[in-house]
Amino acid sequence: MNYAVETKNLCRVFKRKRSRKERKQEPTKENQKEVVALDDVNIQVKEGELFGLLGPNGAGKTTLIKILSTLLLPTKGEAWVAGHNVAEDTFNIRMKINSVSGGESSGYGLLTARENVWMFSQFYDVPSKVAKQRADDLFKTFGLYEKRNQKMRTLSTGERQKMGMVRGFITDPDIIFLDEPTLGLDVNASRVIRRFVADWVREHEKKTVLLTTHYMMEAEELCDRVAIIDKGKVLVCDTPENLKKTVRRSSTLRLEIDPLKDYSKFRDIPGIRNFSKKVNPETNRSELVFVIDDEAAVSDILSVVTGEGKRIHELRKTEPTLEDVFVSLVGRALE
Amino acid sequence: MNIHLRLNLRAILGRAYPRVIGSLREPSWIFFEILLPVLAIAAYVFIYQALEAPPEFVGFVILGGAMTAFWLNVLWSMAAQLYWEKEIGNLQLYMMAPMSRMSLLGGMAVGGIFGSSIHASATVLIGVLLFKGPALVFPLMLIPIFLVTLIALYGMGMMFASLYLMWGREAWHMASLMEEPIYFVSGFYFPVKALGFWVALSASVIPITLGLDSMRQLLFPSVAAWGLFPVEIELGILVVLAIIFPIMARIALARMENLARRRGGLTLRWQ
Amino acid sequence: MAMIKRHWKTLKTAAWLGWQMESNWTQPFLFAVYSILKPIAATMILVLMYWVVINPGYGGQAENAIMFSFLYVGNAFYIFVGQMLFGIFRVIQGDREWYQTIRNVYIAPISYYVYVVARALTQLVIASIAVVITLLFGVFVLGVQISLAVTDIPLFLTILVIGLVGVSAMGVILGGISFLTAKHMHGMNESVAGIFYLFCGVLFPISMFPVWGQFISRAIPLTYWFEALRRVLAPETLQIPTSLTQIDTGLLMLILLSSTIVLVLVSYFVFKGADYLARRKGVIDMITSY
Repeated sequence: MNYAVETKNLCRVFKRKRSRKERKQEPTKENQKEVVALDDVNIQVKEGELFGLLGPNGAGKTTLIKILSTLLLPTKGEAWVAGHNVAEDTFNIRMKINSVSGGESSGYGLLTARENVWMFSQFYDVPSKVAKQRADDLFKTFGLYEKRNQKMRTLSTGERQKMGMVRGFITDPDIIFLDEPTLGLDVNASRVIRRFVADWVREHEKKTVLLTTHYMMEAEELCDRVAIIDKGKVLVCDTPENLKKTVRRSSTLRLEIDPLKDYSKFRDIPGIRNFSKKVNPETNRSELVFVIDDEAAVSDILSVVTGEGKRIHELRKTEPTLEDVFVSLVGRALE
Repeated sequence: MNIHLRLNLRAILGRAYPRVIGSLREPSWIFFEILLPVLAIAAYVFIYQALEAPPEFVGFVILGGAMTAFWLNVLWSMAAQLYWEKEIGNLQLYMMAPMSRMSLLGGMAVGGIFGSSIHASATVLIGVLLFKGPALVFPLMLIPIFLVTLIALYGMGMMFASLYLMWGREAWHMASLMEEPIYFVSGFYFPVKALGFWVALSASVIPITLGLDSMRQLLFPSVAAWGLFPVEIELGILVVLAIIFPIMARIALARMENLARRRGGLTLRWQ
Repeated sequence: MAMIKRHWKTLKTAAWLGWQMESNWTQPFLFAVYSILKPIAATMILVLMYWVVINPGYGGQAENAIMFSFLYVGNAFYIFVGQMLFGIFRVIQGDREWYQTIRNVYIAPISYYVYVVARALTQLVIASIAVVITLLFGVFVLGVQISLAVTDIPLFLTILVIGLVGVSAMGVILGGISFLTAKHMHGMNESVAGIFYLFCGVLFPISMFPVWGQFISRAIPLTYWFEALRRVLAPETLQIPTSLTQIDTGLLMLILLSSTIVLVLVSYFVFKGADYLARRKGVIDMITSY
């Protein structure tokens, strides 16, 4: 089997300088000298696959992408992209990849959008004429064609982000890393990008996309397979369908209530596999998600809430989503 | 054509493009970068005139003023550039691309030389028209001296680019510190030999020192005796510098990239 | 009163920030060396130029100690001009292009004018040290003839303060214009400083200019500043006819003071105007790198 991306026991540790105060303190999780960004990561992405890395902020997704795109070396373990080792064979990898980050607005303000993407294409040996044609086609796809000859500094944040997509795809890479590509974009712009990515993989048999996101809907909609990553570890890796099956025998209960004093009581209730809570700042209500294996737990949950004299504003039982998979694994919500 | 050669030529042209277009596109550039520096060299011309110096000295100032364009370009747009690219988020895209990092710096140099040449030519032209210096001669030797000086100078800029990145926040200050002190020790406005042989020799590690000294000797033969070494020897030293600096630039770049990949952060914004 | 209090707070915070930005990048010793090395080197260029001209092995001209004092004193005080113009200009360009914090500061409920001036106060401190060192070096090492009578100290300080206010106002005008221009880190500030270097009688008497040049010189308040400073510190330079020599010191001071007041007013309106235009054109937080 040809893997577009493969990692074996991949680890990445960052050293951080501790302040004088921290050095005097007993070592704790917060003040330690080393931060583990990736911990023994093993993934295999097949050629032609749209593979998702789903995890909250700080999970290690971007670090993984940086290692795979040759910007960072692993501390331990190995990784191959297009069959080449990331630590040794950078040239052959670089000729085949590209990468786009959601928050990016790289380029030169005085150049037009078209000139900027053309310039980057020249670093990948794309003939000038081909690059210009591809740029125009991509600008059309992303709805930026009319603005392609405007200086980059006059483009809006969203438009610059779309320009980043054009820059990434203009080199027609075999493997593209998309790091939160729809971050902060409006609904329409996100939809355009998602549709383009899905079509691109479908229309080109051997093209591979590795997408990181913390939007579970995006992962569910686009990805052939998803790895859920948290605190540097890959927790599970499968198709979205199979992942959801792991919680299908369970059910998901969503509850909107007035904030409680003590949530720890839920942990003692048998039949709850895991739960997450967050407070909606607008309504000041607690939003709880329970993944439950035993329906009998529902009445216990409700007794805890009513026992504190709090009101239940909403109660729903829903179909499992990838977020529920995440909650069942780590006991936190994604966003 | 060999893929590496083709890729790197394309990369050089690609990176030179924003320099050339960028500098022509902003109209305020013409005002600031050409017209006003002429006023600055005028101050030095007037001092020499106030001190009743021989006419060759006026020529020294015009020549020094013209070469200032290249020096400032090397400092601010070569040496500090990778640091700057990092801050605007471009550096990691460059580091991910397959071309040689030297062609990236090469492209910057080609673009920078283009802009600075216009600046320098305008300085010379306006300087000569405004302040009639001595009669000029243009020996052919001037061409190799000028070209080798530029190669060595931009090679040094390339080397500093990686070093500045490793020194982090000091890039700005380093560039700033290398303005006036270098004008002084490299003899931009007077024969460098006047600083004493050893000082002048030490300053010769900066290519512009001997480049200027040779050009002074060639353009103003009546004061050729004020040169530090004969022109042929200076050309020889400059050739050596033109070989050493690009090699050191390559080593520094590789080291910087390696450090960046090991530690993480060096090429990434706000780190 | 509340407004003054707010400005004072802005001034303190911005001055603190300026100091952090300027001094925080290295150890204090290196910072001190860096801060004085630049202006001292600029001075040494002139010293060498003079030395080359009078050296029998080179120019072979007669010594001219008065002319040397003239240019030395002018150049020493020019450090204030170069450093302050550079400082204020860099606040705006640096915040906009480099740190990209301009929009956050700009929308804060403070006077941006006060903020910009206060940020440059660090430059004033650095420049003051460099000026003192340059003057001491001139007197004790190079034998420059500088004398300041005790009775002249109040006059000297008055001239100094008026001039520094004027220089700050120039810096603000430049900063205002830089709102509207692309990144010209070493183009704009050095070029404008170059105009003052040339036309304000810093290094040579303005009488060397043709009539139109002298007209420009007389229109810039700094010309009177350098003339007044030299009269107090190096009175023998009055032997060099500058075309301002016939104006008596009282009148010179009056011209200096009134032109500085006009300059401050102009700087306020130019800054406000540029600020307005930049907002209208939407370029307050543009990034123009290439």
